[in-house]
Amino acid sequence: MATIDFKNVQKSYGEVHAIRDFTLHVEEGDFCVFVGPSGCGKSTALKMLAGLEATTGGTISIGGRDVTDAGPGKRDIAMVFQNYALYPHMSVRSNIGFGLKMRGQDKAEINRRVEAAAETLELTDYLDRRPRALSGGQRQRVALGRAIVREPSAFLMDEPLSNLDAKLRVQTRSEIVNLQKRLGVTTIYVTHDQVEALTMATKIVVMRGGVIQQIGSPETLFAQPANIFVAGFIGSPGMNFFRGPVEVVDGRAQTRFGEQVVPLSVAPDALRGGEAIFGIRPEHLKIGGDTGTPVALGLVESLGTEKILHFPTPEGQAIGSLQKVIGSDDAGRDSATMLARVIDDRRYTDGETVRVALPEGKVHVFDPETQKALS
Amino acid sequence: MQKRSYLGTFGIYATVIFTCAVLLFPIYWMILTALSPRTQLREFPPRFWPDDPQWGVFADLLATQPFGLWMWNTILVAVATMVLSLTVGVLAAYALSRHRLRGGQGLGLFILTSKMLPATLLVIPLFAIFKSLGLVGSLWSVVIAQSTLIVPFATWMLKGYFDTIPPELEHAALVDGCSPLGALVRVVLPVAAPGLAATALYAFVISWSDFLYARTFLTTSESKWTLNVGIATLKGEFVTDWNTIMAASLMAAVPIIGVYLFLERYLVGGLSSGSDK
Repeated sequence: MATIDFKNVQKSYGEVHAIRDFTLHVEEGDFCVFVGPSGCGKSTALKMLAGLEATTGGTISIGGRDVTDAGPGKRDIAMVFQNYALYPHMSVRSNIGFGLKMRGQDKAEINRRVEAAAETLELTDYLDRRPRALSGGQRQRVALGRAIVREPSAFLMDEPLSNLDAKLRVQTRSEIVNLQKRLGVTTIYVTHDQVEALTMATKIVVMRGGVIQQIGSPETLFAQPANIFVAGFIGSPGMNFFRGPVEVVDGRAQTRFGEQVVPLSVAPDALRGGEAIFGIRPEHLKIGGDTGTPVALGLVESLGTEKILHFPTPEGQAIGSLQKVIGSDDAGRDSATMLARVIDDRRYTDGETVRVALPEGKVHVFDPETQKALS
Repeated sequence: MQKRSYLGTFGIYATVIFTCAVLLFPIYWMILTALSPRTQLREFPPRFWPDDPQWGVFADLLATQPFGLWMWNTILVAVATMVLSLTVGVLAAYALSRHRLRGGQGLGLFILTSKMLPATLLVIPLFAIFKSLGLVGSLWSVVIAQSTLIVPFATWMLKGYFDTIPPELEHAALVDGCSPLGALVRVVLPVAAPGLAATALYAFVISWSDFLYARTFLTTSESKWTLNVGIATLKGEFVTDWNTIMAASLMAAVPIIGVYLFLERYLVGGLSSGSDK
């Protein structure tokens, strides 16, 4: 167990800056997830922590020891790779024990620890097989075994679930979380899947374009996103955005969503100009009440009791291209359409007109210039 | 699976038999020439098999010529060339495959251009260099000269193979505590065994069949002759002993077959399967 510190870490390839001013403190035993769209620099940050990529500037410490210039083998870390990277010419036993062998442990001790790790991961029956004779899930467990057997200061995991099918991914996700809790080893986990990040992490680092956007617990990121990017990236489906006027009535700020007047929980002084960008999560929208703005439902996606309702953003209130703001992962999302997530037994049909209301206190306000949250 | 028709099966067998016949005919002709009595060598039509095979030709060859010495010299040259070419080729190919070198792409292509120069063009400058180094007449001259031809191609063969091995394998080895050279030796090379075997075989065959360099650099020192140089001397100005030449050629081919049989098991690809998803 160890703390991990990045201090003003930079990484550039010539003129291209992959990581800028990366500063982060991870507590002992934390499960910290780096999340962001493809190319945001999360894997580069992890590789720099592992010593597989050199830093261009700044320092990295593990357990208070500056390891910026130490080789990967000298950092007391273990890593699980996206494609597992098992040694194909070795048996499962040799794969798991390789790190111990390289550190000069005696054979009996290696065997004891390999067998203990194999038992933990239910791999005992497969110890003498080669990786090619294992299923994807078993290979993944061997990769985990290779990491835990060394009892390192930190686990680094680079999208270890992305090659598993959906069902196995959910199962392995909870196995990794339970294993980490039991061992209490500080873990840095990289993923582009925000659902994985929210369900596994004690601390999430949202990245974009090599820059940290926000650091916080899953609850903080969900409830208090620092900017439009984080608000749109975290949550499934992501937050709805619309443009609206800022009015001050009796010293209180308010906006309009179609016909509805929406009181804002932001001090009027914080709002510059006559307009702002507003966000509301699909699960916070009130559908089918007596108040609110009437909208005609477009697509109705039914997932059993849960339904995702699509409806048009009120005229003149769409914010334009979301892709520029949120990134390629939400490229398919059209800002002229809003989504509502409802869990009820009511039947909704395409074309039906319903009232949509925005509850007070659930509306996020963003500066249209800086895209930062104001609420 | 759909059952193959009789005609299809016949076609496949016919093609295989025809191909084998074409490929093996020179071997058959060598055996036939080696074993035929001299009077039957130029007979027309030729016989399918000699009436009285001259099996003693092999013993005569060993008794009258220093065949064992030629064989030993050739083995020394071929093994040394193979080891030198593979060592240089592995390190060069690994660097080209894994490291972002400034101008690495151009450098890789430049290496290959040296393969395009004919050996006859290189023989004179090489002779001048070896003479000044005092290597003419030494087996090392042939080893180094052959390596200059083999290394560029070996580098490209191995680079292609290294490119197919996921770099995460070395990363895992580094995290597990290997040095960069340790990761290459303990992880990359065992996984690249089929590529190494193919390159080793290529180097061995090219070296074994060399005549030009051995003839040029070793002519003056008879004790250093390789098989091809020795066999060439069996062709006299007035008389050519075809039986002995063919017997020697057949015996010279045996080690190549042995090396191929040994390396064949490593030539089978797919060893790296199972390392990843």
